[in-house]
Amino acid sequence: MSEEKPTPVINADTRPFWEACRNRILKFQKCRACGHVRWPAAYLCPECHSLDTLWVPVSGKGTVFSYVVYHVAYHPGFLSDVPYVVALVDLDEGPRFLSNITGCSPDEVYCDMPVEVAWEDRSAEVTLPKFRPREA
Amino acid sequence: MGALESGECRYVMLSYGHSALSSDGMLRMLGEFEVEDMVFGHFGAAAAYALAARRAMHVYRTGPGTWQHIAIGQRRWANLNPRAMMYDRPMSAEEYFNARWHVEPFRSPDNCLITDGGRACIITTAERARDLRHRPALVMGMGHDHPARSVYRTLDFTGGTGAKKAGEKALAMAGITLGDIDACEIYDCFTYTVELTLQDYGFFGPGEGEDWFRDGATEPGGRMPVNTSGGLLSEAYFMGLTPFTEAVMQLMGRCGERQLGPATRTKDPEIILCSDNGGIFQSHACYILRRP
Ligand SMILES: [Zn+2]
Repeated sequence: MSEEKPTPVINADTRPFWEACRNRILKFQKCRACGHVRWPAAYLCPECHSLDTLWVPVSGKGTVFSYVVYHVAYHPGFLSDVPYVVALVDLDEGPRFLSNITGCSPDEVYCDMPVEVAWEDRSAEVTLPKFRPREA
Repeated sequence: MGALESGECRYVMLSYGHSALSSDGMLRMLGEFEVEDMVFGHFGAAAAYALAARRAMHVYRTGPGTWQHIAIGQRRWANLNPRAMMYDRPMSAEEYFNARWHVEPFRSPDNCLITDGGRACIITTAERARDLRHRPALVMGMGHDHPARSVYRTLDFTGGTGAKKAGEKALAMAGITLGDIDACEIYDCFTYTVELTLQDYGFFGPGEGEDWFRDGATEPGGRMPVNTSGGLLSEAYFMGLTPFTEAVMQLMGRCGERQLGPATRTKDPEIILCSDNGGIFQSHACYILRRP
């Protein structure tokens, strides 16, 4: 029996993000004053403190900034996943997003590797943006 | 310090105690770092430091080849310290490389211990300390720096931690240079933390750690002893008090078999540098202590 994995904590800041994910669209907040695209979701722009914000879709393309391979499960929900990869993905539009790399073996992942979003349904309500290798 | 100098306090006790091994308190605290990350199976400090370490491996020469010297060197100190959790558990290079991966690139011996216990230390003025039963250790310099920014957001988390400015401030206050330091007691939550802290203090340049640590440089008999109790990796986890109290004890001459000086074929310690580090390289304190 595998225990359930944690689900996202959806609040007023993150609701638009997770709702877009259900439709398999990766969206981030873009500051209308300075153009900064931010993650994590926040009420104001961390660069210029403007409240003027728009949610914009991004390409879903990026590169691996860094990654680790979990050989231990800190949560019973991940017992059957080890070894699995957690990576920081630098999206082309700017945000750095923590996620998993799928679609290749952990040995094939490297820093600066080109990746693209790969959607994974966690439940009927939650779809997660994961990333898989892409041609540069 | 100000409260002691002004006479507001006479003696201050720094203490830490935790039933971390027999309870789940430590793991719960670490697990609740960033709730959003748990969705992707990311938990706690080991993996966060491992992300920094992996990026460093991409940018300059570091990795298990460097960290083995730190893990093994500290284990040799722990083997001289009856209080250390790893006192009777020697470790060879072969054993280090055969150890299980934890969160790769860290193997289990790259991680600090989880301990039931505690540590305490009394601080007072130099004047009052003169009348006490034991010879004290004196604070020569201290420096703090808190970059605070999450490592996940910084462009480059391979160096330039708070250790850089904190170390400079502490050396300036002490009026000495790195060349005057006889030993280091470095906050070592992970092996890579020791490398990056010493690198940011200026002991060696990025990627030069593997050569700097080579040939037992930081072990008993080495030219720059590091973490002479075994540290958080091989003695016990009492946060910054593991390195700090070890520096004090060494300067007081109370370390028995592991005492710096002739007993361990090292220099008699006049000056010891120690560090503490919080979050994921987000805050840093450096203390330089000396013999009276
Ligand atoms: Zn802005």
